[in-house]
Amino acid sequence: MPADEFPSVSETVTQETINQYADLSGDYNPIHVDEAAGAASEFGGTIAHGPIALQTFFRSLTEWLGTTAPPAGTTVKVVFRAPTRPGDTIHCELREREGSEIKAECVNQDGTVVIGAQASIPE
Amino acid sequence: MCPEEAPALSNTTYDELEVGSVLGTVTEPVGAELAGSLVGTIGDAGEAEVAPPAVFPVLFLKALRRTLGGIPNGGVLAKYELDFGAPLKTGGDVAIEVSIADKYVRRERPYVVVQFAIDDADGERALTGLKTIMWPTGPGER
Repeated sequence: MPADEFPSVSETVTQETINQYADLSGDYNPIHVDEAAGAASEFGGTIAHGPIALQTFFRSLTEWLGTTAPPAGTTVKVVFRAPTRPGDTIHCELREREGSEIKAECVNQDGTVVIGAQASIPE
Repeated sequence: MCPEEAPALSNTTYDELEVGSVLGTVTEPVGAELAGSLVGTIGDAGEAEVAPPAVFPVLFLKALRRTLGGIPNGGVLAKYELDFGAPLKTGGDVAIEVSIADKYVRRERPYVVVQFAIDDADGERALTGLKTIMWPTGPGER
């Protein structure tokens, strides 16, 4: 049974976080881990793997549900809208809730929405 | 971090990917250490008897690397769609079937949709995931 309040988990992303995620996932794409390659890219620096910012949504969702994993039948849809850079602080904000269906956004310290996410939890 | 040990990034072109094709099925362990490091702040040691949702994007990346060589340089993650099955207990292996679910061009940008069907050691579906990637090459490009 979901809690009344949807938690707003916040995380600050560092280059160390990105390097740790590269180690966990094996994704050493230079745009994530090579500062020279990042500087030469359209982003002007390294950017985080998409799932790093998504972690604020996943943590908010599982804290809301009171479980480590969503129950069977849960669907989650995610749209990645903007890059996350080292030094960014991302938090998750609930935008809409209807029963056990929610829409949320992951937002950085400047108010830029980096991820839009929605989840449907079986009743 | 040992990037020099990482395989080269894929240079698979948009045209080389066939919708409906299965790229392969790989087996990956889902250990308590991996799950624990993804249950809270990424990289912090935690405990998890079942896999938190953040485990699945990691499995996507691992499976993509083994079946396709990874996401090509210049590829951009656009979307996920995750259908969760039975909670996945840690400490066992999963089988991940990787296939090309769709590809399309929208607003002059090419997209490839990769499907991951992840089954636990008993053959029970843990997750079906779709990952949409803005591909660095479009139709007719190399």
